[in-house]
Amino acid sequence: MARHTTIVDTGLDRLREMARGNFSLAWMDSNPSGWGHTSVPGPVGLRLVDVETGHYAKIPERASGRAGLAPRGSYLPETITSPGFYDLNDRSLLWSDNAAGLYDEAVTRQWNSVTDIPWDLLQELPADLEKALCQMCTGLAGIEMVADDVTARWMSRIDRDFHEVKLFLATQVMDEARHTDVFRKRALANGGGLLMDSPCQQQLLSAVIQAPDYTTAGALMHILCEGFSLTLFHAGEFLAPTEVEKTIFRLCMQDEGRHLAYAVRHLEWFLRHHPERAEEIHSILDVGEQAMFQLTLEPQTIEPRAILGGGGLHDIQLGISRLAFLYARQVRDYLRRLKIAGLDREPRISIPVELPLKSLGI
Amino acid sequence: MNLASGQLMGGAGGGEEKTAVFPSVEWFEKLAEVMLENEASYRRFGPLDCTLVAVVDDQFFEVTFLGYGVESVRHLYALSDAAPSHFILQGPLAAWREMLENIRANAGPDLEHTLGSLTFRDEPLRIDGPDQLEIDAFYRYHESLQRFFNDTAEIDTTY
Repeated sequence: MARHTTIVDTGLDRLREMARGNFSLAWMDSNPSGWGHTSVPGPVGLRLVDVETGHYAKIPERASGRAGLAPRGSYLPETITSPGFYDLNDRSLLWSDNAAGLYDEAVTRQWNSVTDIPWDLLQELPADLEKALCQMCTGLAGIEMVADDVTARWMSRIDRDFHEVKLFLATQVMDEARHTDVFRKRALANGGGLLMDSPCQQQLLSAVIQAPDYTTAGALMHILCEGFSLTLFHAGEFLAPTEVEKTIFRLCMQDEGRHLAYAVRHLEWFLRHHPERAEEIHSILDVGEQAMFQLTLEPQTIEPRAILGGGGLHDIQLGISRLAFLYARQVRDYLRRLKIAGLDREPRISIPVELPLKSLGI
Repeated sequence: MNLASGQLMGGAGGGEEKTAVFPSVEWFEKLAEVMLENEASYRRFGPLDCTLVAVVDDQFFEVTFLGYGVESVRHLYALSDAAPSHFILQGPLAAWREMLENIRANAGPDLEHTLGSLTFRDEPLRIDGPDQLEIDAFYRYHESLQRFFNDTAEIDTTY
């Protein structure tokens, strides 16, 4: 028989002691300040915000580091050492007071693209409308996957002392995956397919991926990109030719609303703690706005939306004029959200607040 | 179960048909009763935590949602009497009436009469609020709110 390792020998010694009736039971009284905690379910159930009270609601301004992989509020034996896995451990750089509540909201408002979309109501559409929808879905499927990857990447770096934020971001990862899936599914479900990818979208997404820190990435991805997407989904419901797309847009809209609620309150928190860093946010938004404007007017973006807005290729110009309202609303709501976060972007915005269609004779 | 806007009518329901005049506190209270009767269908969407101020011409009605039901309905004398956190759904009586009649006639809205379609261009209905994050509650709870107004099909409304 092979010789045991020290670890195995130690374990077997422990087992022998237990066989003799010698138990440690030290864990039972290890955390007196965290013991005796109760939580009362509210009318909708037991939420994260209901349990994170007292001892367990002590959120450090800076993660202890020593806690390593331990859940916040537990007792840490002296032998625990941090593996140094998380490097986002300053509360001022990631927190938002609404994260726990949004997590509760997210987990109770999940949906799925398998059974929640009335796929049985799909109907054959005129070729121009099907192509426009499929092109729109191609773009959306592309952008949502990057939102997924970027969120997951930053989430994995956040110290688990701030688990409210990590948990909320985990729901966002699931949301973005679902959006990727549902737009792909719509494109492939009705006789069409994926159409043309967008160089301008790649440029915008590259800026999101390359953002230097969590907050600038969030400002760009959530407040700019997802803010514009939310308004597009609201318009999408208006533009949708069938109940299928209408349901998709409505469900995605709910998810985007949560992401924005976290992002705006986080930016507000960040700027309250680091007002001197407002310029960094402005700078990344300068880049993002330019890319967004380019993307908005790129043929594979604006033309399918205009076809849907006009009701067909024959009325694409009418559709363009209708899209002017969408664009103006996207910019208006974006500026309003930034203002709530404490960033007055209006004097600084680098793109037109309205599309100058009248002066172009459209 | 899918979540198409017109496909979830007729929950537990039961009982005599409710009648009420729109707009009125009584009308919204009747709708709250229908919501309670149909609670199971709202559970699929998740709980609500928001306040809607319905503005019909120059009348204001505050509906506070909590969980899977309506916590309170108030007639307001002015918008300034509303709870600080709220969003507004406003429009002329004719627009409200058209939406409600469409829902009643079709047991759910057709494609042109969903909340999203009616509000996107700021007409005939408009979403507003004290700030953009409050307005965003309209988006966050959209499925439940659409379902709430779908339930108006169960009310015999007079105007």
